[in-house]
Amino acid sequence: MTALGGPKQTAGVQPPTGMGLAISIILIIVALALAYFLVQMAGVIALVGIIIGGVLIAFGVHFVPVGGAPAAMGQSPGIATGVAMLAAGAGLAGLFGGAWAAPFGFGVALAGGAIGGGLLMAITCTMVNVIYIFGMGIPAASGKVEKDPITGDTFPEYKSQGTEGHGLPFISWVGGVVGGVLGGLGGTLIYLELVEVYQTQLSAILGATVDQIASVAISLAGIFAVGMFLMNAVLAAYNITGTIEGPHDPKFKRFPRAVIAAAVASAVAGIFAIGLLELVGVF
Amino acid sequence: MSVKVEVGAGGIPHNRILIYGLVGSLILIYLTYLNTITGTQYFSFFGGLAAVAALLWGTDTIKHLCSYGLGTGVPSAGMIALGSGVIAALVGATTGIFAPIVTIIVAAIIGGVAGIMANHIVRMDIPVMIASLTELAIVGAMTVLGLAAMTAGTFQFLGLISGTIVILGFVVETYEASVIGGSIIAVIFMLGAIAIQHSFNACLGPGEKQDRTLMLAAECGFLSMIPIAIISFAFIAFLPALISLLVSVIGWFYTYMRYIELAKRDAYAWLDAQPILEPEGGA
Repeated sequence: MTALGGPKQTAGVQPPTGMGLAISIILIIVALALAYFLVQMAGVIALVGIIIGGVLIAFGVHFVPVGGAPAAMGQSPGIATGVAMLAAGAGLAGLFGGAWAAPFGFGVALAGGAIGGGLLMAITCTMVNVIYIFGMGIPAASGKVEKDPITGDTFPEYKSQGTEGHGLPFISWVGGVVGGVLGGLGGTLIYLELVEVYQTQLSAILGATVDQIASVAISLAGIFAVGMFLMNAVLAAYNITGTIEGPHDPKFKRFPRAVIAAAVASAVAGIFAIGLLELVGVF
Repeated sequence: MSVKVEVGAGGIPHNRILIYGLVGSLILIYLTYLNTITGTQYFSFFGGLAAVAALLWGTDTIKHLCSYGLGTGVPSAGMIALGSGVIAALVGATTGIFAPIVTIIVAAIIGGVAGIMANHIVRMDIPVMIASLTELAIVGAMTVLGLAAMTAGTFQFLGLISGTIVILGFVVETYEASVIGGSIIAVIFMLGAIAIQHSFNACLGPGEKQDRTLMLAAECGFLSMIPIAIISFAFIAFLPALISLLVSVIGWFYTYMRYIELAKRDAYAWLDAQPILEPEGGA
């Protein structure tokens, strides 16, 4: 059994500490300076892209309706698994879509990533509701709001006693798709920035053509994008602590904390990823 | 809706496991360097054993961290471990003979930043958070580096990105038939992630015993070694790969039997149930 529901379900949002904010600003500036020092302007552009990608991922995770173990028993709304798993599924589907579309240009690749992630979440959310409604026989009802902000459907009369709601209301469905789109977009952006850096550097270091080292560059950029994706998704999951219903959930307001954390974590991981090839052949 | 995570008391202190895991995996990874010194590939399997040592330590760290109740499930800790670890492992691999040491340093930086973000920006306020995420990043990095060294017979970056294939009797150097170029690194990533996140997730609850959880961690580690050993047939010579396979299968079988013994020891009662057989001729 997965442990869901942390010890601190305190009301309100605790703001980041002053020390934390100071460290964040210093780390981002140091990372940008290092990027300029290592790969000049191209490095700074790549790092900024990676930071934006990380922020998009962390922000997108907050849209995804995560129900956890209670949702598996029909006692809370959302998809019955953890934040990290869902975000990884949506983001990686987007990343694969984007990576496949990479040769067609920057814009097409980004769109491919966004559509890939959104499509996976749309299918997941639809099938979750099919199972809830036709398999478990429970209607969709949110426990956090009285009315669906989009359709205007009311929830209290459908909500079973002793539960926090159940099923996947339309607003959660929309949230899931938006989350998938943002996650796929962010993952693809990180991948595209890294693959560009590696293709120029690897062909120079190894004295090979871009075609010859393409597989290495793509593989490196892909695995780093996956790694950074998971780091950002887990930090966002820690911010949510457990379950969230979607953009209408009060916990959604916590997202600025995850955005700062993801920006710093992406900057630090990104600078190592960008500087990866600087040490090849030195030792 | 919250599920309390219960962990057993007693057993070996965490700090001792930390030292055993860190020093053990470092020494075992360096033993694969005997391949380079002696010009053979027979010592590749030490990389897998290094991963097992790191996984044992990582499981105890996850137990330590998750006893505070993260609210996001145990697997998220494994995902952030491997996510930050894979970046550190590949950055470390570019530094030749210093690879394992640089890997540990880089992983500690990335993990430490993730920990500071989790505690001071996302405000998890968990006392062991920074130390645990630092440890987990090192564990993830050592796991990836160990398994990569087992596959390719070396932990050096150029060895990981270049391989040879035989076309019509000619041996051709190519970047595509390599651990990174062939995206084997993604398989290693997932095998490590599954191994690290499973054991505590499976064993947590009342009556959790440290020796049983760690035995399951070792079992998961050896289980991940088996596919890596099979993959390594493509990269290293037949006999060394066979030795790797034998070591993994024997290790897995031993730890599996020990784990079943320990599970029976801790169980209230157990029934050696037989499969239900359909009666002959129908009922």
